[in-house]
Amino acid sequence: MKKIIFLLLFVITTTFLRGQHSDAILIAAASDLKFALDSVITVFKKANPGARIEVTYGSSGKLFEQISQTAPFDLFFSADIEYPLTLKKKGIAVSEVYTYGIGRIVIWSNVLDPNKEQINSLLDKMVNKIAIANPQHAPYGRRAEEALKHYKVYENVKSKLVYGENISQTAQFITAGAADAGIIALSLALSPAMKKLDGHYYVIPGNAHKPLEQGFVILKKAEQNSVAVAFKDFVLGTEATKILGYFGFNKK
Amino acid sequence: MLQWDPFILTFKLATVTTVILFLLSVPLAYWLTYSRYKIKYVIEALVSLPLILPPSVLGFYLLLAFSPQNAFGKFLEQYFDLRLVFTFEGLIVASILYSLPFMVQPIHNGLKLLPLSLVEASYTLGKGRLTTLLRVLLPNIRTSLITAFVLSFAHTVGEFGVVLMVGGNIPRETRVVSIALYDEVEAMNYEQANLYAVTLLLFAFLTLLIVYLVNYRSRLGKVI
Amino acid sequence: MIEVSIKKKLFSALGKMQLDVEFTIQEGELVTLYGPSGAGKTTVLRMLCGLSSPDEGRISVRGQPWLDSAKKINLKPQHRDIGIVFQDYALFPNLTVKENLRYALKKDQPGAIVSELLEMMELTNLHDKKPELLSGGQRQRVALARAIVRKPKILLLDEPMSALDTTLRLKIQDYILRVHEQFKLTTILVSHDIMEVIRLSNRVFLMDHGKIISHGGPTEILPIESLKQMVGKLLD
Repeated sequence: MKKIIFLLLFVITTTFLRGQHSDAILIAAASDLKFALDSVITVFKKANPGARIEVTYGSSGKLFEQISQTAPFDLFFSADIEYPLTLKKKGIAVSEVYTYGIGRIVIWSNVLDPNKEQINSLLDKMVNKIAIANPQHAPYGRRAEEALKHYKVYENVKSKLVYGENISQTAQFITAGAADAGIIALSLALSPAMKKLDGHYYVIPGNAHKPLEQGFVILKKAEQNSVAVAFKDFVLGTEATKILGYFGFNKK
Repeated sequence: MLQWDPFILTFKLATVTTVILFLLSVPLAYWLTYSRYKIKYVIEALVSLPLILPPSVLGFYLLLAFSPQNAFGKFLEQYFDLRLVFTFEGLIVASILYSLPFMVQPIHNGLKLLPLSLVEASYTLGKGRLTTLLRVLLPNIRTSLITAFVLSFAHTVGEFGVVLMVGGNIPRETRVVSIALYDEVEAMNYEQANLYAVTLLLFAFLTLLIVYLVNYRSRLGKVI
Repeated sequence: MIEVSIKKKLFSALGKMQLDVEFTIQEGELVTLYGPSGAGKTTVLRMLCGLSSPDEGRISVRGQPWLDSAKKINLKPQHRDIGIVFQDYALFPNLTVKENLRYALKKDQPGAIVSELLEMMELTNLHDKKPELLSGGQRQRVALARAIVRKPKILLLDEPMSALDTTLRLKIQDYILRVHEQFKLTTILVSHDIMEVIRLSNRVFLMDHGKIISHGGPTEILPIESLKQMVGKLLD
């Protein structure tokens, strides 16, 4: 009995005595960056072995909300540059807002090859459910909606739409079979995880939607954090730019 | 690769929550059992609320309450340097509220079944309320106490909606196993996700097994 | 030595009832409250202990007020020098016989009284058993012993023998008498059993519908029909 009490006290005290790592950074990143950013971080860590970097992926809108509500992130990579710009206006972001790419959307499916009928593949009778990201807080979802409206197919497909929390979950819906096709980020379609699946993708022309300028910024919490600055520089450098380009994040 | 951090976090959260919850629930259950004020029925309903309330509702109101942009959150930060959003401490508070009925109800039900004459006998033997509680009441509801502990612990381990809302998904701070599982599924890392899921499943099953065994043995007349 | 005057409105399955009771008991008496179920006998005991309170009234013991509704005095049970044996015995299931008795000890009271009572009630070889392992008669004796540990001046017994058979009843009656004499108690007993009442009490209070209808020596009080009942039993 006494042993149990001792163990409990130990757990409780260690809970509240947690050290702070001043050389660690916490990144909030849009879900479309999952594979691209992971790769960039791996390379960065090789050059900076002591650095501790953790990432929380999510929809840009959600992360924006959390950061506005004081979530303890050091950097924010957003699929829609509007969010970091707003944070800068609010004084929550302290650096310049840097562009890291232009987002592109694709139709992805393993039920048919969307390249054949392009946008009209969504009207195919084999496609019963179409996944897009939730337009309320996911930039890719908004662009998907815009593209559907641009091609005037939105009304026809509206009833078939299912919404993912963020672009990653959207992709997961399609690959798991919950949806037959969907509109996801190009970067995800290019990722190893999706490439090895039996699917095809069709890149939706950029003029079908507002451009998805993507940007990142250093947040107030990391004002004195040298690792944050180092990472920012690395991302803007040639090596990282190449990696991002491989995943479809081109600055043009 | 399986990370241990979510497991450690989940374990710590469940342990701390359960202990604090126990200390809060015993007086509360006692009051609910022996009080004569009519308001106890209102309190009893409030305590049971987390049982049926969607976790996101609880999470939402907690987020509003704790946000440093609102009055209460600001107050906490100013005077106690305490932030309850996106922190482990916030999860503890949220978990305490979320698992409250799982601790209070078994204890309350156990106390209700004890004959009132036990309490009265203790009083006539010169003992006050605290002594009676510690030396007569609690020792005689051991089965209820075990059930309460185990259920609260397990319930906290399984928390998701409230944690996500109030804690976000901060590694080593609020990324508990249930959140990590969700993360891995989203990233299509199904093997890792499965590891987390199987662990939680086994744990849940074990918990129920213990609770049933304890109650079964007590019905047979064995003390434990 | 015990002066009681209490009134209370009671509600039961039988309807409303006004409890209105006034009596005096001398030190050393063994008095029985006798009457049908629902007459209010247990309520009177509970008010004496402080477990219930009347709407108005006074209770004083040896001149010391335990209850005075006009002066807002109402001593808690913990502060009344009284021992009670409950109808269900109320033994603590988690404690052994000896521990049940030791629980009753006052702060700094020497523990010798516990062994003395264990011996007196012939419970010594059961001292380490938990109540669930004891028979009805054994539990009775433990409850009786526990009520005496604090050497109270007054002992209350709420139908203590209703669950026992005749032979056991006689035995327990012996214990009650022994304890009453040895510890110089003033005892109040609630019972329906006429034989018992006659055997044990100095005086009987006949209660019905919340009032004391009459009181006196056991043989004067009990109705003729009940005497007939008693004769009938004797002939069995």
